[in-house]
Amino acid sequence: MTGKEVLFKALRNEVTPRPAWVPFVGVHGGQIIGMKASEYLRSADAIVKGLSEAVARYKPDGIPMLFDLQLEAEAMGCSLAWAVETPPSVKTHPLEGGGSLAHLPPFDLAAGRLPIAFEVTRRMKESVGDRVGIYGLVCGPFTLAMHLMGNDLFMQMYDHPDYVKAVVSYSASIACKMAQAYIDAGADVIAVVDPMTSQISSEHFVEFVAPYVNQIFDVVRERKRFSSLFVCGDASRNLAEMSKTSCDNLSIDENIPLELLRDYSRSSGKSFGGNLKLTSVLLFGDEDDSRLDAIRCIDVAGSAGFILAPGCDLPYAVSPKNLEAVAEMAHDSYKREISKRTIIAKQLSSTSCDLPDDYAALPHVVIDVITLDSASCAPCQYMMDSVHRAVATLDKPVVVKEHRIATREGIAAMQKLGVKNLPTICIDGKVVFVSIIPDLRTLVARIQEVIKAKA
Amino acid sequence: MPDYDVLKTAMKSGKVADVRKLVEAALAEGAPAQEILNSGLLEAMGEVGQRFKKNEVFVPEVLVAARAMKAGTELLKPHLISAGVQALATAVMGTVKGDLHDIGKNLVIMMLEGAGFAVIDAGVDVAPEKFVALAKEHNAKIIGMSALLTTTMPSMKGAVEAIRASGLPAKIIIGGAPVTQTYCDAIGADGYSPDAASAAELAKRLIA
Repeated sequence: MTGKEVLFKALRNEVTPRPAWVPFVGVHGGQIIGMKASEYLRSADAIVKGLSEAVARYKPDGIPMLFDLQLEAEAMGCSLAWAVETPPSVKTHPLEGGGSLAHLPPFDLAAGRLPIAFEVTRRMKESVGDRVGIYGLVCGPFTLAMHLMGNDLFMQMYDHPDYVKAVVSYSASIACKMAQAYIDAGADVIAVVDPMTSQISSEHFVEFVAPYVNQIFDVVRERKRFSSLFVCGDASRNLAEMSKTSCDNLSIDENIPLELLRDYSRSSGKSFGGNLKLTSVLLFGDEDDSRLDAIRCIDVAGSAGFILAPGCDLPYAVSPKNLEAVAEMAHDSYKREISKRTIIAKQLSSTSCDLPDDYAALPHVVIDVITLDSASCAPCQYMMDSVHRAVATLDKPVVVKEHRIATREGIAAMQKLGVKNLPTICIDGKVVFVSIIPDLRTLVARIQEVIKAKA
Repeated sequence: MPDYDVLKTAMKSGKVADVRKLVEAALAEGAPAQEILNSGLLEAMGEVGQRFKKNEVFVPEVLVAARAMKAGTELLKPHLISAGVQALATAVMGTVKGDLHDIGKNLVIMMLEGAGFAVIDAGVDVAPEKFVALAKEHNAKIIGMSALLTTTMPSMKGAVEAIRASGLPAKIIIGGAPVTQTYCDAIGADGYSPDAASAAELAKRLIA
């Protein structure tokens, strides 16, 4: 079975022999061929070279062609600020202050860098399209409306909702044209990338986003291709509504617990993808951290309808070795099992942890909270919140540290403190609350006892 | 005594005209400007901040509430000045060099203003020397820096170094999507906040 076939099975929400793997190589492609993002994203030759290198090294089942959400905005007259290691940012917004849509230039598939995107798609389809799924990425209509209107958009949702809907609807018509053009050039999957939707309520998602993204998904379905909705950022509250849209696949990043996405996707019959940690692991971690994080995703996701992916554009400077390590975990279940055992054993024996040698010698109280990861584990998050709330009521300095067992440091701290269950609160090195989140009064009282004993 | 619950409800739902009307009525009734500010507008903004922190309201809701607060405070300003009321302290806020994103920074400004700070908005793409110059000029007690990108986050380190080298006593707070407490500790900033409402609480703690 080719990688592309594995990907297609996953997109059809079927059981796959291994997880499908789609590294979101955008500006990172520039790094692997030694080019600045600002040069890379403006050259079809460079992008084809970067993606070809990524295909050879990361062995993906699918890969996006051009990850730059500013492409459409640029073609519509927004000026861009270029950077060395990130995609460009939109500097000017033609509809800022409420201009008429009629004043925008007509959308032209030959404008700006759009021809580069389609050329890259054609060339990649020709070179690797028989074995690797080709993703065409379009800027989501809400994010494109934001590019056109600037931050005004948020206020206008209250003041002139019909105007905002007109701009989002117009942006969706652009996305439909982009999807058609990508499909004409050879794309197998159209991903609608709409990160700004993570900033609004689910009611607003229903009103300002869902009907418009569905128009794009319908176009993709008519062309018998797969569709995906990518949302970067914490859009947990919108998952229920996202799963009611007509896309085939939902893709999220580390800000949303993968368990939550899995459950929503399963109940709505969609495939799903995510949520390798982009910064803490892929960017700042090493190969073993990357392996462990890939294993975490694969274990949570199960064997049906899952695409292992970062959920958002890979940072420029991610070490290629980390992505090769993830690829190895996606492709080889035996290596996955071995890694699970050996890495954890190695971590326990060799890692130092961020705990004081002598709590009593410190002038302040230290609260160590051992968590799975408060960003992705709800009880851990509630426990962290309750500790922060308790500390905010105190007039003495108290240092709060979270030790995530997704990191080596966290595992070492857990062992040193003798913690057996997660999450756990330790006060000045002693296990105090295990698994149960204490009420505010109890927690404050326990901390005050320790403060008093120290005084 | 004016019904501050009505004023707070109007402000929290972003109703500018209602807020203006209610503030004017409260002033006409003889309520002190500071009381209207504290018991009405600031309290309402504090509640909005808490709901934002708990993921119960989102960016659009905070923006409309902040705009309504501004409409109310503009009416109160002449009365506050004549009564000699002063801001808690001055804060300089900006997005760091190389970064053009300002939603997060603007939300923090709103929360700081809602907490009683006078805020100087340094804008986006702010060089370290500009933070220093503005903090000196306005005698700021807080300097706040925001970054949305992993690639611009390192600019914070340079700004912290420049502020420390200038000898300014201001406390430095940082935040933004990729920023963490660990990073804050590593670059020697005085505080990190994961969200806008906590940033205002942090600033208050640091100047206490």
